[in-house]
Amino acid sequence: MPIEIPKDKWPGSIKAVTIGATAAEGGTRAKSITIGGQNTMPYLQFEKPTPNTPVIAIEIKSRKPEDWSPLLEKPWGEAMADPAEWAKKAEAAGADLLVLALTLEDTPDSAVKTVKAVLAASGLPLVVWGPGQAEKDNELLVPVAEAAKGEKVVLGVCEDKNYRTIVATAMANGHLVEARTPMDVNLAKQLNILISDMGLPMDRIVMDPTTGALGYGIEYGYSVMERLRLAALQGDAMTQLPMMVTPGFEAWKAKESKVGEGVPEAWGDWEARAVNWETLTAMALVESGADVVVLRHPESVKRVKAAIGELMAA
Amino acid sequence: MDHSITFTTADGSTRSVTVPTGVMLAEAAQRAGVEINQPCGGQGRCGRCAVQVAKGEVRRRSTLRLSAEDVDAGWALACQSVVEGDADILVPEQEKIERRLTTDRTAAEVQVPAGYDYAADQTVRRVTLSLSQPNMDDQTDDWSRLQTALRLQAGIENLTVSLPLLRRIGAVLREGDWTVSAVVDSAGNRLVELEPGHRSPDEPLWGVAIDIGTTTVSVWLVDLVSGQVRAQVAEYNGQIARGEDVISRIIYASKNGGEAEMRSRVLDTINSLVERACKRVKGAEPGQIVKAAISGNSTMIHLLLGIPAASIRLTPFITAINTIPTMNAREVGLVINPEGVVDCLPGVASYVGADITAGVLSSGLDDADNTTLFIDVGTNGEIVLGSREFLVTCACSAGPAFEGAGVLHGMRATGGAIEEVWINGETFEPTCRVIGGGKPSGLCGSGLISLLAEMFLTGVLDKAGNVNLTLPTPRVRQGEHGPEYVVAWGSETEDGRDISITRVDVDNLLRAKAAIYAGFSVLADNVGMPLEMVEQVLVGGSFGKYINVEKAVQIGLLPDIEWNRFQFLGNTSVRGAYLGLLNKDSRQRIDDIAGKMTYIELSADNSFYDAFMSAMFLPHTDMDKFPSVAAALNKP
Repeated sequence: MPIEIPKDKWPGSIKAVTIGATAAEGGTRAKSITIGGQNTMPYLQFEKPTPNTPVIAIEIKSRKPEDWSPLLEKPWGEAMADPAEWAKKAEAAGADLLVLALTLEDTPDSAVKTVKAVLAASGLPLVVWGPGQAEKDNELLVPVAEAAKGEKVVLGVCEDKNYRTIVATAMANGHLVEARTPMDVNLAKQLNILISDMGLPMDRIVMDPTTGALGYGIEYGYSVMERLRLAALQGDAMTQLPMMVTPGFEAWKAKESKVGEGVPEAWGDWEARAVNWETLTAMALVESGADVVVLRHPESVKRVKAAIGELMAA
Repeated sequence: MDHSITFTTADGSTRSVTVPTGVMLAEAAQRAGVEINQPCGGQGRCGRCAVQVAKGEVRRRSTLRLSAEDVDAGWALACQSVVEGDADILVPEQEKIERRLTTDRTAAEVQVPAGYDYAADQTVRRVTLSLSQPNMDDQTDDWSRLQTALRLQAGIENLTVSLPLLRRIGAVLREGDWTVSAVVDSAGNRLVELEPGHRSPDEPLWGVAIDIGTTTVSVWLVDLVSGQVRAQVAEYNGQIARGEDVISRIIYASKNGGEAEMRSRVLDTINSLVERACKRVKGAEPGQIVKAAISGNSTMIHLLLGIPAASIRLTPFITAINTIPTMNAREVGLVINPEGVVDCLPGVASYVGADITAGVLSSGLDDADNTTLFIDVGTNGEIVLGSREFLVTCACSAGPAFEGAGVLHGMRATGGAIEEVWINGETFEPTCRVIGGGKPSGLCGSGLISLLAEMFLTGVLDKAGNVNLTLPTPRVRQGEHGPEYVVAWGSETEDGRDISITRVDVDNLLRAKAAIYAGFSVLADNVGMPLEMVEQVLVGGSFGKYINVEKAVQIGLLPDIEWNRFQFLGNTSVRGAYLGLLNKDSRQRIDDIAGKMTYIELSADNSFYDAFMSAMFLPHTDMDKFPSVAAALNKP
């Protein structure tokens, strides 16, 4: 007896968002990347093929981070002290785009210099994060946005209490923004409304619904992302945006990744465990609909990339 | 170790008290007989009990709401400061609790229910009796003689009588020369009063309808014979000084001696109101009042009766009693006729009390043909959805923001309160209407709703309630408490200080309106009914009289449906008590309403949180629910 697989038809679809601009598009990137565009729940290829492959960003910092695991110093080495070198290495490790995180020590001048150096060193599209303190973020991101005009950089992160300046400068300089909210469907939607109320087109917003690492609340993050996607497909325009999440940041905070000594023997090899933690966190989020995952370890990048390839082929 | 604390009040008088180490200043003040308001119940949240330490030192457990300069100047929160040595304390003038006149003004408007028939409807009645005189051949005792007369002349049998009344019977019978008037409670089969001589059938028989609101207590003096309301008086609940919301009061009552204090505070308020009402009516005296019907939320009723209320606050939120037996005034502590019948109306649950069952009766919701939403806006928002066919109810904690508490320059709706605000969309300059017309001293609930709506529509606030500091006006600024908008400059105000609304105030207001909106939307969802299908919305509560519908819709407090579907009822609770006081069938209907209501505990349902979060936005995350506001925003 032939079995007919039921297919869902959704009234809504996710906006396709393009990050980075090539010379033809007014920038200097070697290529631009497009994410989003889905009209089904993730990877139901029999309903409708996934239009754009989820991508992997590698996180680099403007200064050598003091609080990163020694396991991350192994692959990146000296490059961690030089953002341009780090960017090149990240590109070689298979990144689709780069996330450059500025720090509290940065000044507007140093931030601009670093961003320019990274743009020169790698042709990948770029995301720039402020250090995460409202006033400092605004102080650094405005000159950065002006210096990178035309490159279609993603500026982050906008939060409900601090988005106005970042959105204004993104509008003035042709960039995109990352809208981050703390794991709540309504809050995510509210921030998208606030940003689009300022006049930034929806196809220049990437939302970051925040997540937790494996074992540290990932199921909550997963379900928020799933609900956002369901709302979007059901036609809620204010949730129809691609999602970017930070499993690298979350997984490397987890005790299982951070601690190598004094843990049960059954936990096994530290490095293998840490990379597994980041990979599994990222894969769960990819399956819940993430369009961009931001990672830290090159081995995780390799594995997640392979797994995404399998999902897309299925 | 003992320490001497001396309090100097605003009028310059001083009082001293000796207390051991570790006593709170607030308690020391109480022992010294010095009044210090504690609107948050002594939790250190509101900052209204601030006093100045002039000499000596106290240990400040918390300085919330005091700035560093305040502390340097010696200010301390009385409820959070521990006595550790001798000290001289300056107590600033305490906010006076002003009388609200609005309820008094409406005295003529109450209509006696159509067809009220004292003889048929009233449970308390007065009968006149002529007894045969005792003599050597008829040695029947006084009580049996009275009972015989009641049976033969009024058809009343099997009455009980209290001992204090029994002690007076012989004297009354003889004083009236065996002619007497008896007041009988036919529901409780009890003799309430016995007076010498015959009374005219038209002579009033007094009753009172009482509503104990968390904020306001209302008393109506009623002639049970004609059914007429002869006086209406209202006063702030004396418990306010020990907590502005029910939770703070339960916390205070749970402390040592708190229960007795709470009980006596509300009794003082009620008794003084009863006295005031009687003074307005010639010939009426508190001692002649033979029946009282009392409405109020479950906490208020518990505190009035001195029944521990602690379990109301704690999961799973259980009252000691919902349906309260009839009592007499002596045991309750009401200063009316000591034998007077006291009828506390029934509640449904911890947060759906008699105020709602009485409110439903008064609004006629239980007999409505159309689906009706009844919202009692107050510190605790109670909501009923239904019609003749069904009644569902829920309660949500809105907090006191709409009553002016928990807001930096908030105040009650009394003289000097800004009650309405308009903001010019180009200059961002406000125009204010002040109650009483003088200089403003703060913002009351309706002023806050109006201000919030105007700030939102003119872009001073974004939809999340952030103040737009980039606007070209000095009225938006970074203040001591974060971003704020100045409604009135110091040069225009009563006390010379700027009146502003801060980001924190806006958050409190957003939470209050979101709780109420989420409450009725979840309730409607629970019965599978879209809000647009609600055919009428009745808004009650003493607050309900002042809301501007347009503004309330614009901030997303009320649903965006045609304005003509809204009706403002004022205090439905006292009116329900009045109807129950008069008519036994109405009283029965309140019991039926209580029995018929399905209570939905919102905290047992995760959909409330979702609805709450989506309502924490101006006007709402889902703009499709507010088409009229969307249209107003799109206007050029």
